[in-house]
Amino acid sequence: MRLGEPAKMQAAINITPLVDVVLVLLIIFMVMAPQMRKGPDVKLPNTAKPTQQGDERGRILVSIDDAGGLWIDDHAVAPEQFGDVLRSAVAADPDSKVVIRGDAKLNFSQVRQAMNAIEQAGFPGVGLIAKRAGE
Amino acid sequence: MQVNNGSGSSLQSEINITPLVDVVLVLLIIFMVVVPLLMTGYDIDIPRTDASPAQAEDSQLILNIGSATCPLLEPLAGDGLPADCRVTLDDQKIPAAELPARVAQVLGRRAPENRVLFLAADDRMNYEGVLRIIDLAKSGVEDLKIEFIETH
Repeated sequence: MRLGEPAKMQAAINITPLVDVVLVLLIIFMVMAPQMRKGPDVKLPNTAKPTQQGDERGRILVSIDDAGGLWIDDHAVAPEQFGDVLRSAVAADPDSKVVIRGDAKLNFSQVRQAMNAIEQAGFPGVGLIAKRAGE
Repeated sequence: MQVNNGSGSSLQSEINITPLVDVVLVLLIIFMVVVPLLMTGYDIDIPRTDASPAQAEDSQLILNIGSATCPLLEPLAGDGLPADCRVTLDDQKIPAAELPARVAQVLGRRAPENRVLFLAADDRMNYEGVLRIIDLAKSGVEDLKIEFIETH
């Protein structure tokens, strides 16, 4: 480049590094997102054709870990307080729905006890959460 | 206005990737918001005494899952159910694999609001096994409602 000659301005911003970063973020979120949920680590049962249960938000999320421990949203709840917590939840919002995230290793009786407590608290139904086999 | 006759016009050799960035950013936002919150599973009805009257007893379809005929007491390995798993539908012992056809045969003729399957499951059964049997029963007929009843 000779002195005095006006340098050609590069007006466009080079956005290739930006695309790189965004793609990497996208991949990180795709991989991490399923593990960033509330509550305990639950290995959900595998079934062939579970139906859509919609969005977690606005649901009362009851989790039962592989040791039978009860959780409501992200708090561990003692079994004797479980019914009281549910009753106060249904009093606060009578239209709220409950879903159970039970571990695949559980005995059916452990889930059934939670369902009985949910029934006694006055909820019209419950969703049993599973994941599609292979996912 | 000067006509561009091709001579001396600078070629634009770079692809315009701005729309691509737009699309990728929107995908990123969608994944960030939606993926952790979507769930799949099975709706279970809890009968209420003040709700619609219960079905007449002779029209109730009862599915009995007993650990004697379908021994799923330990956590399951792999997908599906063992081939020797038998369940009791309407007092008849049938292989679990026949469940979709049998449920469709009985409940398919009813109006969707009357398609209720009453499920009595042995408390010692593995939870995942019970869900897989529910999955089989639901795959035979649309709009099937499931209610759990006490085992006898």
